[in-house]
Amino acid sequence: MNTRNPLWRFAGMRPAAWFFFVFLYLPIVVLVVLSFNGGQSATLWDGFSLKWYSVVANDAEVVRAAKNSLIVATLATLIATSLATLAALGMRGRAFRGQTLMSGVLGLPLLVPEIVTAVSTLMFFSFIGLKLSLFTILIAHVVFCIPFAYLPIRARLEGMNPYLLEAAADLYASPWKAFWKVTFPLLSPGIVSGAMLAFIISMDDFVITYFVAGAGATTLPVYIFSSIRMGISPKINAISSIILVISIAFVALSYYVGQRKR
Amino acid sequence: MHVRTTSLALSLLCAMGIATSAQAAGTLHFANWSDYYPPELLKKFEADTGIKATLDAYDSNETLLAKLKAGGGAYDVVVPSDSFIEIMVKEDLLQKFDKSKLTNLALLKDTFKTLSFDPGHDYSVPYLWGTTGYSYDTAKVPGGKLEESWKPFFEPDPELKGKVVALNSIEELFVPAAFYLGIDQCTEDPKAAQKIQDLLLKQKPSLAMYNSDGTIERMAAGEVTMHQQWNGAFHRAQAQRASLTYVYPKEGIRVFIDNFAIPKDATNVAEAHAFINWMMKPENIAAASNFAKYNNAIEGSDKFMDKELFDDPAINTPADKLDRLKPFELCSPKALALRAKVWTKLKK
Repeated sequence: MNTRNPLWRFAGMRPAAWFFFVFLYLPIVVLVVLSFNGGQSATLWDGFSLKWYSVVANDAEVVRAAKNSLIVATLATLIATSLATLAALGMRGRAFRGQTLMSGVLGLPLLVPEIVTAVSTLMFFSFIGLKLSLFTILIAHVVFCIPFAYLPIRARLEGMNPYLLEAAADLYASPWKAFWKVTFPLLSPGIVSGAMLAFIISMDDFVITYFVAGAGATTLPVYIFSSIRMGISPKINAISSIILVISIAFVALSYYVGQRKR
Repeated sequence: MHVRTTSLALSLLCAMGIATSAQAAGTLHFANWSDYYPPELLKKFEADTGIKATLDAYDSNETLLAKLKAGGGAYDVVVPSDSFIEIMVKEDLLQKFDKSKLTNLALLKDTFKTLSFDPGHDYSVPYLWGTTGYSYDTAKVPGGKLEESWKPFFEPDPELKGKVVALNSIEELFVPAAFYLGIDQCTEDPKAAQKIQDLLLKQKPSLAMYNSDGTIERMAAGEVTMHQQWNGAFHRAQAQRASLTYVYPKEGIRVFIDNFAIPKDATNVAEAHAFINWMMKPENIAAASNFAKYNNAIEGSDKFMDKELFDDPAINTPADKLDRLKPFELCSPKALALRAKVWTKLKK
């Protein structure tokens, strides 16, 4: 908290900030705490117990769902971020014919309602005869993760000084070398935030995933949503806590690696 | 490092592609609601028959219908509710059984041998069934006991104002209201529908909310005193709060049956039949009952059911209350349109 920031002159800023963070994070804390619930309910506390973690370990379906979610999210993030970086680099520079159209198409998954994307993707796969599987989920995820990865990268690219590339060319750097030595290091914060956004969106998605999932390809959001009928058990809290720890580890690791590069 | 990641990603993609294209004989793709089928039972199926099974999840009949309609033919066995079987058959989404492979059909309980939505069991076989009544906390109601009728639910005692919850679904409200008022649930008469609407609107101020989720927690925590509930959810709530009791209203209580069905474009049809036939064995269906805490339709499963499940009158309907159970009826579009009108007015 930079106290030299003029925002702090407003009265009540500190309590408002505290309230904001508590409001966001308290439910997550409650979720983790209730994963240690001794009772049957996901909302009523009944003593401390580790039994739900052993239930998760023995339940092949929920573990498989979590694994599928992580595999799809990781691969979709890698592919979508690479494609989004290429797109951002391609869109910069002098205007070419169809650029505004391209911009619109890139942002289309953000505009179109998810259910429309889901059903139309499913119909497309049936039409071309592609059998549903984890792979079809991956394709769909890459498609809608691209705009999320693209926007931060594009923003970062806009803020980059164009003369730096000219300077690099002046010093006999080939375009390939100029990219890796100049553009990429400057872009990397944007790429990292684009990748994180893509990862979150992919982990979170239910509607599109459900429709294009093949047999054996249930992901964690689909599994949890489908528990609504029979009731949420603390088993869901346990698997969510595990995923939370994995995600925090992932983010911490990428931050640490980023710091090391400096 | 980036070259290694891309080649790793590519090889993973290829592996997944290859894995999915190799459909080994002796696999089964089963889809059901989460936590509605015991995972150990699936392992037992694999051990007994050698067929490798996968279990996937869907969250509602509507999404299952949408997925099957849009061409998502990845499943071999699905479990739609009775209200959706006729709809799916009409949309040509289910295939007819080869009854010569379903020898255990003879084990069905008499009351389930002929069902109005699928007489002859050409497309569906019952999995588990339940009832939608209401439960209340005997420790909190005036007098400790309420009449076994829909009256205390639709016309609650003023003391219980704000402590009653109804399910958030038009069928679950319209049908019991029709039972209570003695009107045909598939009525096409606007005047009759008006009577039902008036009853529901009169009930509305006493309700805390319309909600179908978290019914177990709400009753177990004592947040509300009366809740319209499925009997399986009641059983789980009562395990946490013993003073709860379930009501079989004398005017009639709706039965819902979830059924095994085979989608039209299933790939492993023989395995699907083997699975459904295997599930109709008393010990196997009883294992499913014990896990999901709902009753089943197979004769002879009683001796394999958990005692506490068998002894619960909410699950194991007592003989004197069997005539109160009313099966599902698919109504004409005109009747359904009337229901939709009542719901819109109610939820305004």
